[in-house]
Amino acid sequence: MYFPSSRPWADGETLSEHLERRGVSRRDFLKFCGEMTAVLGLSSAMTPKVAAALAAMKRPSVIWLQLQECTGCVESVLRTGNPSIGDLVLDVISLDYQHTIMAAAGHQAENALQQAMKDNKGEYLLLVTGSIPLNDDGIYLTIGGRTAKEILVDAAKGAKAVIAVGACAHWGSVQAARPNPTGAVGVSEVVTDKPVVNIAGCPPISDVVTATIVHYLTFGNIPELDYDGRPRFAYSSRIHDQCPRRANFDAGQFVEEFDDEAARKGYCLYQVGCKGPATFSPCPIFLWNSGTSWPIGAGHPCIGCTERHFWDTMSPFYKRMPDVAGFGIESKVDLIGAALAAGAVAGVAAHATATGVHQIRERRRERELPIVNQPPSGKKE
Amino acid sequence: MTALERPPRAPRMHLGSEAQPPTGKYQWIYLWELPIRVMHWTAAVAIVVLATTGLYIGKPFFMTGGEASSHYLMGWVRFLHFSAAAVLVTTGIVRVYWLFAGNRFERLAALFPIRPRDWANMVKQVKYYLMIKPGDAPQYLGHNPLQQLSYTGIYALTAVMVVTGFAMYGQSNPDGMFYRLFQWLVPLLGGIQIVRFIHHVSTWIFLIFIPIHVYLAMRGDVMERSGTISSIISGGRFVRSDVKYVDE
Ligand code: HEM
Ligand code: SF4
Ligand code: SF4
Repeated sequence: MYFPSSRPWADGETLSEHLERRGVSRRDFLKFCGEMTAVLGLSSAMTPKVAAALAAMKRPSVIWLQLQECTGCVESVLRTGNPSIGDLVLDVISLDYQHTIMAAAGHQAENALQQAMKDNKGEYLLLVTGSIPLNDDGIYLTIGGRTAKEILVDAAKGAKAVIAVGACAHWGSVQAARPNPTGAVGVSEVVTDKPVVNIAGCPPISDVVTATIVHYLTFGNIPELDYDGRPRFAYSSRIHDQCPRRANFDAGQFVEEFDDEAARKGYCLYQVGCKGPATFSPCPIFLWNSGTSWPIGAGHPCIGCTERHFWDTMSPFYKRMPDVAGFGIESKVDLIGAALAAGAVAGVAAHATATGVHQIRERRRERELPIVNQPPSGKKE
Repeated sequence: MTALERPPRAPRMHLGSEAQPPTGKYQWIYLWELPIRVMHWTAAVAIVVLATTGLYIGKPFFMTGGEASSHYLMGWVRFLHFSAAAVLVTTGIVRVYWLFAGNRFERLAALFPIRPRDWANMVKQVKYYLMIKPGDAPQYLGHNPLQQLSYTGIYALTAVMVVTGFAMYGQSNPDGMFYRLFQWLVPLLGGIQIVRFIHHVSTWIFLIFIPIHVYLAMRGDVMERSGTISSIISGGRFVRSDVKYVDE
């Protein structure tokens, strides 16, 4: 466990020098590099390269913008009960501008932002949490008299890489849920001229943020992304395909209520609305709260927080089918479907009866069969 | 087989003209060639299997107890679902090929009631079924416009099931072929849950279609002696020689 120190990472000092001063042994540092290499899905032969690059690294300039958000992601990423070296790396690098945790306030803070952007133009890493409200000229979020959009566009111009941390920065999250009154969008909808890394999740696991930054610092570029801009090393498998309860799913063993026998036995949460089959996230591997547990491990279904529009398409969280149009009809699809199918059978029976009755009436009237000729007997049909 | 070397088609018959009808009153007309008949029954079985296993996947009504390692119920159901899906796709490929290689009752054009006359006849057909004008049903050798519309609709629905099904299937392996082929659908529809929802709801449309389809086929046989059911088994049916058929 490492404690935050009052002495920041000085310009000119390398990371290994700085960590040493903070009481991190070479051995622990190498272990951390090994873990990051594994998390990034690289071969272990790469560990020395990662270690060498990180050890020699000078303090990178990082600007962290907090836009329309709840600060939950900042909490998730920066504050942990038992900080690891990874947390420390995040802690020490995010110094140029982070309005929640920086000492400066008001004009002083704004000046720090402008200064950092000017001094490190084209070199700094831009981290963003929170969405950008676009409705009504963006008046729903202004800092120092500027709208979120202006601040972001301005900061993105000189950034070497842009990392959107959390569901809000990814696509808008809860603010963007129907009916999205502020017109909230994610970073990639505003910054379109350079690739944006989306660290999905509400909030995301801090290891993913650390590993992405480590990748960037080691290789000088962002990791491979999926179709939605999420780093593939973390978001290339579904929860459902890595879940320890998958054996129960395949066996046909399901929890039906949260206090039933199946729940006590730790069966699969599919029937109580688990969105694991729809969600790409590394939760079962990385785990939460310093590796303690994760939602499904604790008996709660996954709500799909790493997927775009999850508030709308993954809810109701305890039902399997989404509430597509927003008025609850969908939860009754099976009832409606079964009723219509039964109706079709009943309708067909009624129609057959009506046809029979009609036929009898016709025959009474005409006293003769309507269609006379049968195919000749013995003829192949 | 290429389109050039396809088997000789049944000669186009002009009713009551050159071809001598068997009795003078009826004649046998060849409508559905072998690939179409095989496709129909294979797809029918596949769809019944898909709908049953699909309903179980949607709502697992049987459950097992004890150790997970001693059961594989959902596993087998999903295996059956995906196997039947493969069969259904195969029949689909045959059907698409036959849209171009088939006879005039089977070709692409026969799928769409696009002429004004078709729409008028469709109204007549509906009136006939509703017993408003029972005697007035237009006579077709192949499919009447109402049948064209509903069968083409079922083909379209099958295509929807296939693409939504494979979009879900592909997600278990994002490096695989199915992910690459069908993943475009997911952002297009607004997320995998919407894809799942469409797949789930469309199943009910099949379950509504099936009884109506079976009933109308049987009714045609009983009421009009139309030989509809035998035509999808043997390929042809007996038709009256003294009737003028719209699609002769
Ligand atoms: C007539 C055709 C089909 C019917 C009636 C049908 C029906 C269903 C139903 C009712 C479900 C449950 C949906 C849910 O509640 O989540 C389902 C799931 C599924 N179906 Fe189909 N399906 C059909 C064709 C296909 C095809 C062609 C594929 C292609 C591979 C496919 C793949 C899937 C997959 C991957 C699932 C989800 C399974 C899971 O999440 O474990 N289906 N199907
Ligand atoms: S993504 Fe979630 S936790 Fe993060 S700021 Fe937005 S609402 Fe809060
Ligand atoms: S608990 Fe959820 S993710 Fe795990 S096997 Fe069941 S449905 Fe899949």
